[in-house]
Amino acid sequence: MTKTIQREISIPQPREQVWRAITDSATLAEWMFPNDFEPRVGHHFTFRVPGNPKANFDGLVVRCQVLECEPPRLLAFSWSAGRLEGTRVSFRLVPDGEGTRLFFEHSGFDVSQPFGEQAFKGAEYGWAKMLGQLPTVVARLAAGRN
Amino acid sequence: MTPNREPDVFGAISNPARRHMLDLLAEADRSVNAMAGHFKMSRPAVSQHLRVLLDAGLVTEQRHGRERRYHFVPERLGPVRDWIAHYERFWDDRLQRLRKLLSKKSKE
Repeated sequence: MTKTIQREISIPQPREQVWRAITDSATLAEWMFPNDFEPRVGHHFTFRVPGNPKANFDGLVVRCQVLECEPPRLLAFSWSAGRLEGTRVSFRLVPDGEGTRLFFEHSGFDVSQPFGEQAFKGAEYGWAKMLGQLPTVVARLAAGRN
Repeated sequence: MTPNREPDVFGAISNPARRHMLDLLAEADRSVNAMAGHFKMSRPAVSQHLRVLLDAGLVTEQRHGRERRYHFVPERLGPVRDWIAHYERFWDDRLQRLRKLLSKKSKE
């Protein structure tokens, strides 16, 4: 059994602009990470998450492969990083008036139900116990840019 | 994103037999013999899997007279849940950045 992260967000810009932001390597790097993405099915690429010596984080390489690419409506790629193998990330763009409705999904987290579900409802764990240092790095990056 | 300093909870639950064992223990505490009845594998093999679960802290063992009973500790799956919470925050942050970037670009 697997778990999926789903998000639905509204973007004021038209679908073509959003499509460019998620499929142009340089633009993708501006909101994700440096990458060698190309918008064609089967293409293997990586995101290189920079390290942060202060946070004792060595950096991380996310291995991906483009699974679906249907401009300007659907982009899906596989996502493997660390223990996370073969999950799937997808962006579906639907026109919404002048703007765009973005349906985001990251699926394939194997949480081995039903005991996983039980654990989800269990006691809260602090962020200090977090497995990687990525949240810190992400927060610092965001603070530095905004 | 790689849990390297924590006991290996991820490795422990990567095996289907061990996941099944946790399911059984989630219902009730059981002895090795009671567990072995649910599997085709030998009793020593069951013990070996239980050892992995013990090492990961996912189960504890208690003596009841002559036998040891195993008890599931669901809280130990916290890292698995944290791992997804971690990704949720990660994507919320990225999607926020995407929105900001698009609004900046459309103003240019």
